[in-house]
Amino acid sequence: MLAYILRRIAQLVPVVLVLTVAVFGFVELLPGSIVDTLIGTEGGDDAETRAVLAKEYGLDRPVYERYAIWLGRALQFDFGHSLVTRRPISTELLSRIPATVYLAAVGIVLSMLIAIPLGTFAAVRRNTSVDYTAQVTSLVGISIPEFWFAILCVLLFSLYLGWLPSSGYVSPLDDFWGSLKFLILPAAAIGFRQAAFTTRLTRSSMLDELSKEYVDTARAMGLPERRVIFRYTLRNAMIPTVTISGLQLANLLGGTVVLESIFAWPGIGRAIFEAILQRDYPLIQAGILVLGVIVVIMNLLVDLTYRFLNPRVKLA
Amino acid sequence: MSELEADKLFDATLAPPAPRRAGRLATALSNAWYELRKSRTASIGAVMLILLFGACVATPWIATHDPIKQDYRARLAAPSEKHLLGTDRLGRDIYSRLLYGGRRLVTIAVVAVTLGLLLGVPFGVLAGYWGGLSDTVAMRVVDGLLAFPGLLLYLLFVTLAQAWKFEGVMIDIVLVAALSLAFMPEVARLSRGSVLGEKQKEYVEAARAMGESSFNIALSQILPNIVSPLIVTATVRLGFVILIVAALSFLGLGTPPPTPDWGADLSAARDYMETHPLMAAFPGMAICYTVLAFNLFGDGLRDILDPRLSER
Repeated sequence: MLAYILRRIAQLVPVVLVLTVAVFGFVELLPGSIVDTLIGTEGGDDAETRAVLAKEYGLDRPVYERYAIWLGRALQFDFGHSLVTRRPISTELLSRIPATVYLAAVGIVLSMLIAIPLGTFAAVRRNTSVDYTAQVTSLVGISIPEFWFAILCVLLFSLYLGWLPSSGYVSPLDDFWGSLKFLILPAAAIGFRQAAFTTRLTRSSMLDELSKEYVDTARAMGLPERRVIFRYTLRNAMIPTVTISGLQLANLLGGTVVLESIFAWPGIGRAIFEAILQRDYPLIQAGILVLGVIVVIMNLLVDLTYRFLNPRVKLA
Repeated sequence: MSELEADKLFDATLAPPAPRRAGRLATALSNAWYELRKSRTASIGAVMLILLFGACVATPWIATHDPIKQDYRARLAAPSEKHLLGTDRLGRDIYSRLLYGGRRLVTIAVVAVTLGLLLGVPFGVLAGYWGGLSDTVAMRVVDGLLAFPGLLLYLLFVTLAQAWKFEGVMIDIVLVAALSLAFMPEVARLSRGSVLGEKQKEYVEAARAMGESSFNIALSQILPNIVSPLIVTATVRLGFVILIVAALSFLGLGTPPPTPDWGADLSAARDYMETHPLMAAFPGMAICYTVLAFNLFGDGLRDILDPRLSER
């Protein structure tokens, strides 16, 4: 197992390198140079300032040297300074990560709380009206754009009923109960959509398990149906569900840009979105790299958990 | 009964009518429809898709207004005979905007997914068929591309397009490039997997014994046998691409106004949500309908093409 883990970690190296080349190349492909952007915001356009700035950002060197220097700094989590706020990008990003993780994790847990009972129930009552309702609901759920669903929630719960604030954020560490009312709408918007995916998955893996021979044996031995399902099939059927939920969590960390901007949620996705609007290119670059690396690591962890939960999978 | 008579009788009663050349397309269509009817999901999806594509093709004839023509005297009008779904904040006809917006969105999605297939299939098929070092390298590249979290690749491309001050069609081209590049690794991985399974079979062995080049075997012998999972993936992907494009333009990162666009129109309608909720409802429903159509059709196709799965 240890050798396998090490080999998988070694395989990550080229993947992360592709990521770094992509985000570094992105900035290289921008029109003009960083010097133009800097002078545009600060004024004082003369040859001397240009030369100083070019030297400061290493623009007098060839591109591969700049990449190496940039990579070396990035490894130490030094991404330079934001063009807009002038603060170090690393602190800027680090301060945004907790909010995103908080939202994504609550959303995923919520989706599993909905999807696992619903999917199991649909599988056990296969081809009944319960099953069809669950299937149709989850298919519609997959097809609804999350931003539209979020807007409809805001319309109903904030504007018409006035129960919840339409946007904003309070850290749970400052005021736990106060933060909940801000959390409910965005988390529900994530949770319901993810639940649509997970319900389908739980249903089909549960049906898969129920058709296996050990279930017949257990039934033939007179075990009550409830015990067969909860004690045996559900446990096995949960493996793919949990795995996919983990992968979804990884994707959510990178994909909550839309919801974060609707709900004014100060996460990393919104930081990148704001950076795009403000043309803060170093922040975009660093933000996308950090999110990409998080996703890669999460995928690895999920994969390892899967092998751990299900030893039948070969350590290929 | 003479042999000849028996032959005639057989022809008249049992033998399927030989398809006439002109009727071949009709036969193929009716066969496809027969297959489709095996799955209720697929037939509902197919009908929804036919309506959708029909509306896209017929847009210039069934639209009632110019989608970008403003009419300040008829701003925020309720649905009426003149404006079937009412007008938006600039007095533009919502029904016509939906039609033109949908036409553009569906075109982008279809082009992007087709390009993704054209890039990914040869990549995956050849990697899988050749194996060895080229396979390893190809799959590492695919892993690297797959590692890009969802929306972020599109954000990079869109930012570049904005920085270069692209306009009009150029923005759509950049978007299509990003969308197909993001779809390509998934296609490559899927087709590689199918090729690995298919490579062991006897017909490949036979083709190799007959001295066909490996390029030929991979693309003309193996490819036709791995098409079904690709069709299913591509159909489902079309719905996903539409969601992504709508999300990007909802964020204001798509084609700039006044181009009709479901996501951008939805975003603009947010300001009038309290007083004119219908305005935000229509584009949302249009996106939902389109994505649902592709998902239903894809789901149904999977059941038909892969009977092993449908037994579940």
